[in-house]
Amino acid sequence: MIHLSDINKTYPGAVPLHVLKGINLDINKGELVSIMGASGSGKSTLLNILGILDSYDTGEYILDGTLIRNLSENRAAELRNKLIGFVFQSFNLISYKDAMENVALPLFYQGVPRKKRNKMALEQLERMGLKEWSHHLPSELSGGQKQRVAIARALITNPAIILADEPTGALDSKTSVEVMKIFRQLNDEGMTTVIVTHDPNVGAQTNRIIRISDGLIVK
Amino acid sequence: MKNPVFDIDNWKEITATLGRNKTRTFLTAFGIFWGTAMLALLWGGAQGLQDLLRRNFAGFSTNTAFVFAGTTSVPYKGFSKGMWWSLTQTDINNMRRNVPEIIAASAVSTISTTASYADKSYATQIQGVESQYPLINKPVIYEGRFINESDEKNDRKVCVIGKRVAGELFGTASPIGKFVAMDNIYYNVVGVAGQTSQIHLNGKIDEMVLVPHSTMQRAYNRGQNIGMVLLSCRNGVTPTSIRPRIERIVRANHPIHPDDKQAIEYLDISEEFEMVENMFSGVDILVLFVGLGSLLAGIIGVGNIMWIIVKERTQEIGVRRAIGAKPRDIIMQILSESIVLTTIAGIAGICFAVIVLHVVAIFTTEDGNTPGFQLAFMHAISILAAFLVLGSAAGIIPAIKAMRIKPIEALNDK
Repeated sequence: MIHLSDINKTYPGAVPLHVLKGINLDINKGELVSIMGASGSGKSTLLNILGILDSYDTGEYILDGTLIRNLSENRAAELRNKLIGFVFQSFNLISYKDAMENVALPLFYQGVPRKKRNKMALEQLERMGLKEWSHHLPSELSGGQKQRVAIARALITNPAIILADEPTGALDSKTSVEVMKIFRQLNDEGMTTVIVTHDPNVGAQTNRIIRISDGLIVK
Repeated sequence: MKNPVFDIDNWKEITATLGRNKTRTFLTAFGIFWGTAMLALLWGGAQGLQDLLRRNFAGFSTNTAFVFAGTTSVPYKGFSKGMWWSLTQTDINNMRRNVPEIIAASAVSTISTTASYADKSYATQIQGVESQYPLINKPVIYEGRFINESDEKNDRKVCVIGKRVAGELFGTASPIGKFVAMDNIYYNVVGVAGQTSQIHLNGKIDEMVLVPHSTMQRAYNRGQNIGMVLLSCRNGVTPTSIRPRIERIVRANHPIHPDDKQAIEYLDISEEFEMVENMFSGVDILVLFVGLGSLLAGIIGVGNIMWIIVKERTQEIGVRRAIGAKPRDIIMQILSESIVLTTIAGIAGICFAVIVLHVVAIFTTEDGNTPGFQLAFMHAISILAAFLVLGSAAGIIPAIKAMRIKPIEALNDK
């Protein structure tokens, strides 16, 4: 599903910062993987590259059979929309849209008619057990509920992979357990998931832990 | 492909984002509102103001000269300087005969008197005019008729009384056919008149009693003397251009030295009108400048606020980009927000201006004569169009900035 070979990334500047120093990584379909590492280790950069949010200098990244390199902004947006579901630490829901509209937003950019995408959004919310909250604004939801809305949003386009950046970072331990349960459940249904975290408890719940340190993967 | 105009979500997005910070939206909208309102007020107001000023001359032939006698300043033919003299019927007849450019001429003589009817009397002026007088100062006839040629030829003792005089002497009753006494002579009232223009010829028609000039000469033993001559020239000829000929005609009939510059007073009012017209062009230019200034201020306000909106929404735009919004989607969103804001505020501004202009028009209406304090529909449309085009132009820079936001920058900006 994900194939990275010898990925290098340097941030230019007065003192160029060589962040990724040749990453080789394969993630198979249906895997639940966590990427762990200290801050500054390059794990966020790796996630950005995986999410087609950032470019890399050398190497090769193939996502779901598509070579990701030198994409136009439009093509990158299209691929992100179709292939990747994002879950963020700070949820990143749009504050003036209710839960259903937030979940339906990726379909809006696909040009799906409103009725159809709202129906699909309701289905996803139901799957997350939030059907009765579908018309609440994010500010009226608890942290765990917000993250479940965000997961529903990530799932609605039926992506190839879910990329989660510290999905439990803003949640208490009890809620964290709930959210991780959802990820595990999705994984059981066959969803390929990559979770970036520095929480060992979260890492422990995944099938495979990829440790990254100083721009390299540590075996 | 989705059509952004008919997709209700686009509208929901726009109203939601504009409604999120109501104060800011209101202030921006107010800037545009004020800009369009000022522009519309100036544009419509300038026209109204011109109408208001023109009303002062309404009904008065602007291509007119007044000729009257001054005192001589050069001794001539045995007469010393400083002599009083008077224009006569012969002068005006000669003018009519010899200057074909004159389309209308009337002798005008005025004497203060008291008009009385039954037990009422009113201090007024009796003014002798000729039948061509209405061609120069068009009276408003409220009742009856004006003095005609037949009255003049037969020296009839008829009069046209001013509206005000009629009110004082007759109240609400009709004065037609009644006899009004002035200096012990009874005149049959044939008409009630007034005037629209604010030009006074020893007073306004409303406050005077007009009689045939020939009748007045006889009634007051004035012989051939007349007070002044009103001359109206045909189009394309200015009264000043015929002045030398007029003066020659008058000199031929009076002991006035050829070099005497003071003896004959000649006032060309077309020059005054020209000055007023020049002032109108000045007002138009002023309106243009002030209007463009307010337009510019409004537009810069929109651009400014859109810039702040983009900065504030960096994270949101980043999220949208991450989940699949294309740069074009973001540009459309920002632009449509500024267009919607501009349209609504602009229409409100124009409506406000139209209401204000209408109120002004109501308050300045006189005798059913409404000055044009109104905004032409095409002007309103062009103001709106200008604001729309420039408003979108002002939204483009922030929109491009929004488009350039990289999702990662936005997402890291927690």
